[in-house]
Amino acid sequence: MAQLTARFRTENRRYTVEDVPFSVPAASETTDLSQLINKLLAAGNADHKYVEFDFLINGQFLRMPLVTHMEMENISTEEVVEIEYVEKYMAPQPEECIFHDDWISSVQATEEWILTGCYDQTARIWSLEGKSIMTIAGHTEVVKDVAWVKQDSLSCLLLSASMDQTVLLWEWNVEKNKVKALHCCRGHAGSVDSIAVDCTRTKFCSGSWDKMLKIWSAVPTDEEDEMEEGANRPRKKQKTEQLGLTRTPLATLSGHTEAVSSVLWIDAEEICSASWDHTIKLWDAETGDLKSTLTGNKVFNSVSYSPLCRRLASGSTDRHIRLWDPRSKDGSLVLLSLTSHTGWVTSVKWSPTHEHQLISGSLDNIVKLWDTRSCKAPLYDLAAHEDKVLCVDWTEGGLLLSGGADNKLYCYRYPTTASDVGA
Amino acid sequence: MGWNWGWGLCIPRATGRGCRGEEQGGSTPPSGPICPGAAACSGAPNPPLTPFPSASLQDIRNTVGNIPMEWYQDFPHIGYDLEGKKIYKPIRNKDELDMFLEKMENPDYWRTVQDKMTGADIKLTDEQIDLVHRLQKGQFGDVHFNPYEPAVDFFTHEVMIHPVTNRPADKRSFIPSLIEKEKVSKLVHAIKMGWIKPRKPKDDTPTYYDLWAHEDPNSILGRHKMHVPAPKMKLPGHEESYNPPPEYLLSEEERLAWEQQEPAQRRLSFVPQQHRSLRAVPAFPRFIHERFERCLDLYLCPRQRKMRVNVDPEDLIPKLPKPRDLQPFPTTQALVYRGHTSLVRCLSISPSGQWLVSGSDDGSVRFWEVSTARCMKTLPVGGVVKSVAWNPNPTICLVAICVEQSVLLVNPCLGDKLLYGATDQLLESFVPPEEERVQPVQWVPATMEEHSKGIRLVVQHSKAVKQVTWHGKGDYFASVVSDNSNMQVLIHQSSKRWSQNPFRRSKGLVQCVLFHPIRPYFFVATQRYVRVYNLLKQELTKKLMTNCKWVSSMAIHPGGDNIICGSYDSKLAWFDLDLSTRPYQLLRHHKRALRSVAFHKHYPLFASGSDDGSVIVCHGMVYNDLLQNPLLVPVKVLKGHVLTLDLGVLDVLFHPTQPWVFSSGADGTIRLYT
Repeated sequence: MAQLTARFRTENRRYTVEDVPFSVPAASETTDLSQLINKLLAAGNADHKYVEFDFLINGQFLRMPLVTHMEMENISTEEVVEIEYVEKYMAPQPEECIFHDDWISSVQATEEWILTGCYDQTARIWSLEGKSIMTIAGHTEVVKDVAWVKQDSLSCLLLSASMDQTVLLWEWNVEKNKVKALHCCRGHAGSVDSIAVDCTRTKFCSGSWDKMLKIWSAVPTDEEDEMEEGANRPRKKQKTEQLGLTRTPLATLSGHTEAVSSVLWIDAEEICSASWDHTIKLWDAETGDLKSTLTGNKVFNSVSYSPLCRRLASGSTDRHIRLWDPRSKDGSLVLLSLTSHTGWVTSVKWSPTHEHQLISGSLDNIVKLWDTRSCKAPLYDLAAHEDKVLCVDWTEGGLLLSGGADNKLYCYRYPTTASDVGA
Repeated sequence: MGWNWGWGLCIPRATGRGCRGEEQGGSTPPSGPICPGAAACSGAPNPPLTPFPSASLQDIRNTVGNIPMEWYQDFPHIGYDLEGKKIYKPIRNKDELDMFLEKMENPDYWRTVQDKMTGADIKLTDEQIDLVHRLQKGQFGDVHFNPYEPAVDFFTHEVMIHPVTNRPADKRSFIPSLIEKEKVSKLVHAIKMGWIKPRKPKDDTPTYYDLWAHEDPNSILGRHKMHVPAPKMKLPGHEESYNPPPEYLLSEEERLAWEQQEPAQRRLSFVPQQHRSLRAVPAFPRFIHERFERCLDLYLCPRQRKMRVNVDPEDLIPKLPKPRDLQPFPTTQALVYRGHTSLVRCLSISPSGQWLVSGSDDGSVRFWEVSTARCMKTLPVGGVVKSVAWNPNPTICLVAICVEQSVLLVNPCLGDKLLYGATDQLLESFVPPEEERVQPVQWVPATMEEHSKGIRLVVQHSKAVKQVTWHGKGDYFASVVSDNSNMQVLIHQSSKRWSQNPFRRSKGLVQCVLFHPIRPYFFVATQRYVRVYNLLKQELTKKLMTNCKWVSSMAIHPGGDNIICGSYDSKLAWFDLDLSTRPYQLLRHHKRALRSVAFHKHYPLFASGSDDGSVIVCHGMVYNDLLQNPLLVPVKVLKGHVLTLDLGVLDVLFHPTQPWVFSSGADGTIRLYT
């Protein structure tokens, strides 16, 4: 059998082996290599326990026999191959399945609570154990997006955006378990599809079907903003059906030619929006100017930004997840395509703790956990949903959440291994 | 009496016709037997008469003349006698048996004939029978007539010394002819003038027709260029020698192999043989055979170089761009909109592309969110929905729905609140005209219950409505009624609640109608033709021949110069209105009847849905340049619908902004391909 000479290397101090070339069978796969490393470690350290490893060659995960991988990557088999190994990521463990009354359009979770937006015109707060804490009803149409603004031990501020063209700012008193609509943000002329709160927690941005982005203040006040009224609408009638005080936008960013499907804050001054007009636009939040445009050739459903790797990930109405560098000015904007889904990618979310990992939900009912070092195949498929997946989220505490058209919200615990932190 | 002619036997009566009889009265027998008059009149030999029972008493000659006696067939009489009295037919009561007995017993039966004029039986005499025999043999009636009398010459054949005529010769035979003199003087004149050269020496060299005199030596088919030399014979080699070297001689095995081979397959046509000396060589036995084959070779050799045209079949196919260069177009199924329980007949989409409306046979209309396939609303209408149309004006939120005999105008209350509020106000702002106008339909405002469901107006027709379509401005809409009269097409104005019937006469069963997107034209598709009417001038502008058996659907390019027609005989006809009234191209991609065709508003795409369950998307590029014809390339076959009740796709529709196509099927689903 053909042999290859390989040199093994790791970043993790606990599992270092001697830096000498080994001769390994060319057809060996990850399990074979893993056993080899474990044998070496056991030889050096008597109380070593068996650990599964994953192997990277030039930053690409090994997912097939070694020689096939090297042929595909055009790596010469004559020279010594440098193989990096990391502790294998554990599979996400399913934790909870939370039942809703209708489709789940959006989810955002914190360390303590989960906030979901639902097609039955409500937003709901759940504990991490899957217990329903609060149902927030007030919208007259489908709730399309939800977001936490601020969390204290006493009261929390949260936002819900709806197809009824408003965004409501709610105050939730945790102790009394009461919600109160503080402000009704009016100004959009279409369904509000996406909201994002900035890092200072004082502003938020909303993107709507009416092609506009609007920036609002997230600070509750007692004053009501004046709103120019259409002469046709009696003021009294409007008062009765509205919750909270009216709030008008601080700024309006227009430039998209189609519906805005997703917004986010890259940092305190920069807003990113993805739209149905096949573009991702970056805006200056202070001045409202368009900074740059990334043009794709499909409708964008969702966009996510990772401050760790400074990459944008976009899900669009084809099978691919694309990674973009928002800073790049030259033509080649797509850095990488992750392809394994068979339907539209409706939602993507970067890991808040790991620079290489993200999850995606798709219309093919599957949530996939990706590592950008393996773009052909995902790390794990989470195939629990029975219908379209509409939203995903990933919390700092390592919780993966996905909701979809089967009215179920699935939670997975994804352990952050020590090697992740070390890397 | 040698000649026994008829008039020798006439009656001794002084009548008008008996005058001849009187001349020969002497020859009449004294007993005065009577002859039937027919013989006398026709001049035929009249036999002497047999005695008639009443002949002695009266003369019964018939006076009717030479007429066909069948004329008297139906009468009891057969004519009139000389006194004008009827001659009755003799009573004939002989039956077959009597006839037979008479034939057997009467020795004169064979010479008895019936006289047609009197009906009497006459027995022929021996002379009469002789006469009949002679006439039958073609001889003269008279026995004594000799037709071969010796000929007597008028002039003798011998030369006599005296002329027959003794006239002297004319003078003119002695003087020269004037005509000849004229001819001679003409020839003399011609010789003098040198026109004729007498006694010219004769040219003995033979003249031949030069067959190739006019051949162009430079032509490509020139003789010499095309010359094919006769095949040459192979020169004899060592094998043919009388004493070939031993290596050319066949061994025993080789000779056996040679004998077993087919004559055509042998490398050598003979067996090399060795002879002691040239003298010992015998006569070549195959000589005649070989000569004959050589003649055959010469006779059958090619005389002409065939100009072969080498055409690569690939070159004959028109050069079409590759589908992948024509992106974007829908390629895969992305979403399935489930909810309807019966076949979904019709689709329409809001101008913003956010909402989709579908009408089904389960008696409901559903409103869907395009991006998630979520059914936002269900409107039960209590009947088969034949057609839905979303108002194309983005400032009006109104959907027209055909249910049985009425068109419902529904405000779906989706999208911008201000917009759908304004739409309601627009409809409510209607002020009825002071004088009631006669309308072909009834406009009924919705009841409270209907109003809460979203229905705003009901336009009640007299017959079932099968199609509704909006004008681009969103105020007028047209409806098609399944009827045979001129009331098939109606144009309505929603803001004024006013309907009119544009056509005075019916031109056939209307399949569908369409408004031109820009100009005031109106397209009416009947089974075989599409008529284009100018709404301003109110006249027929064009009549397009579809070359199809039965048009099912029609769609217009957003530029307005091209339309496509789908037909039930699985053809799709593309018309360039500037080019011709006949199809620019007829596409036959589907296997079954086409149900629906659609154009994209912005992308150069069109799609057709068919009963075979597939949607075919084609690239249809229309150029602004008038000289360049449209480019039609089929790019994708989209499958997904399950055939139900032998029906596949019932309607296709493009998203207004994205290169996406919706198809509704008989399986109760709507599918989105992206």
